[in-house]
Amino acid sequence: MLRLLKIDLTKLANYRAFNVLIGLYAVLIVSIPISVIEFLKWLKVKGAEFEGFDPMKIPVLHFTDIWQNTTYVYTFLRFFLAIVIILSVSNEFSYKTIRQNIIDGLSRVDFIKSKLATILLLSFGSAALVFFTCLITGLIYTPNLDYGDIFVGSEFVFAYFLDLFAFLIFTFFLTVLFKRSALTVFMLLLYRPIELTIIGLLPDNWDFIGDYFPMQALTRLIEIPFPRYWFQEIQDYIAFDAVAVVLVYIVLFVAAIHYKLKNSDL
Amino acid sequence: METVLSIKNLTKRYGRLTAVNNLSLEVQKGNVFGILGPNGSGKTTTLGILLDVIRRTSGEFYWFGQEPTKEMRKRIGAILETPIFYPYLSATKNLEIVAQIKGVSKDNIDPALKKVELFDRKDDNFKTYSLGMKQRLSIASALICDPEVMILDEPTNGLDPQGIAEIRELIKSIAKDGKTIILASHLLDEVQKVCSHFCVLKKGTLLYSGLVDDIDKGIINVEVGAASGNLEEVLKAYPNAAKITEENGKFVVELKEGGAAELNKYLFENSIEASHLLTLKKSLEKQFLELLAESDNAA
Ligand SMILES: Nc1ncnc2c1ncn2[C@@H]1O[C@H](COP(=O)(O)OP(=O)(O)OP(=O)(O)O)[C@@H](O)[C@H]1O
Ligand SMILES: [Mg+2]
Repeated sequence: MLRLLKIDLTKLANYRAFNVLIGLYAVLIVSIPISVIEFLKWLKVKGAEFEGFDPMKIPVLHFTDIWQNTTYVYTFLRFFLAIVIILSVSNEFSYKTIRQNIIDGLSRVDFIKSKLATILLLSFGSAALVFFTCLITGLIYTPNLDYGDIFVGSEFVFAYFLDLFAFLIFTFFLTVLFKRSALTVFMLLLYRPIELTIIGLLPDNWDFIGDYFPMQALTRLIEIPFPRYWFQEIQDYIAFDAVAVVLVYIVLFVAAIHYKLKNSDL
Repeated sequence: METVLSIKNLTKRYGRLTAVNNLSLEVQKGNVFGILGPNGSGKTTTLGILLDVIRRTSGEFYWFGQEPTKEMRKRIGAILETPIFYPYLSATKNLEIVAQIKGVSKDNIDPALKKVELFDRKDDNFKTYSLGMKQRLSIASALICDPEVMILDEPTNGLDPQGIAEIRELIKSIAKDGKTIILASHLLDEVQKVCSHFCVLKKGTLLYSGLVDDIDKGIINVEVGAASGNLEEVLKAYPNAAKITEENGKFVVELKEGGAAELNKYLFENSIEASHLLTLKKSLEKQFLELLAESDNAA
């Protein structure tokens, strides 16, 4: 598996679009909390009209809220990594290098494994970056830090990892299906609105089925946390059934990729 | 003799089109095996099936007597049709990927690049290469694992005459090491020069399979030219002549018996001094065209 990962990374390491996208993604992860803090500071400076209220006291980036808040926002950045996967896989088809890889001695399963290894590495690396960004931001900005609180809610980093991993595998599947990068990006963007429309059209007593659609299940991993600041009830835990549904979809997508590649001429 | 490849009743259909039709073949160790056939006769499709990139409809094939696996492909150096590499990577990086896939040392990369004279350009991106350089790189990549079998589909496509001659020498030197080579080509002259065996496909069907050396066995043709005016009459009177045809002012005599020496003696006895006397080798090209024409007539 490590050998297969190395092969795929050799393909990507000198690919400019890959480096640019990954770089941009990492910069955004790190800079979003900094920007938010700077924005709050700016509000404070301009803060005469807040009548003594200190915006820095809004606990968005304090332990324990920070974990869910940031991971929720970060899930929107997954499109950067999705583009990486689309390019990485569609190139293999458009350059026909998948064909040469097989000729040279990779099996079709090896090929899939090598891409999955990269997806796993990207998801894991990204989750690690998110974890440390949150940890450091929280340590710097949380007032009256209670050390017992630091890791409360950090399970959302796991949810973030799972979200990214499943989404990238879904992207891999779409690319194997459509092969061309532009078409795949288009389909990826189109998919979620279609899913939402179908969910909206479900009759009332069938409503629960909506939760079992793949992208819907993903969004249920990290629910939107911000309404808590205007005193609404939010889901501040990871729904177990959402995790189960996502895991099932991961297996299904990988099986579909395997089925598609196993039977096709390259 | 050890059988490297055996194909049994291999068939590939694309919808209603049968690209490979019930093909059976054997290639022995050390053979240089030429696969000939007009465009679309199924050469690339057959090789693609043997390399697992194209799914067969039915039939079997065995490498080294065993069911095909990826491990076998690692022992094969192969190029199919056009050179395929990552355009944004250098030659060295591209070959690194091949070496990693085949599980061979990266130390093999530089010698392979030197062999095809690309060493100077090894750090340039593949997309900046000329067609001939791309072709050479794919040959380098086929050589990288010190393969037991080489599969070459149109390996001289796009090469300059010097390059073609080099590839010919390369193929010969590899064959001398006892390696097996399977070569699909339209350059019949080349095939005749390097191959020991050949087969002819047409519309996916095997028309012929045999030794290259057998081509000019049997019938002997001698080309004769002379200043004398009655050459044609004298030749017609020659009892060993089976057929006489005129070509560019010279006569080609198909002999039933004997060779050029006997013919020359006969001419001399009839007071004709031949200014030109040449035993013609039957070319693979001629044989090839005849086989195709025969099959057309049969159809
Ligand atoms: N993907 C495909 N879909 C449909 N038909 C195909 C496909 N690939 C090949 N064919 C058909 O299969 C037949 C054999 O093609 P193949 O490429 O094997 O010929 P070839 O002998 O290599 O020809 P050439 O000398 O031109 O390289 C052709 O009629 C071709 O049109
Ligand atoms: Mg071909």
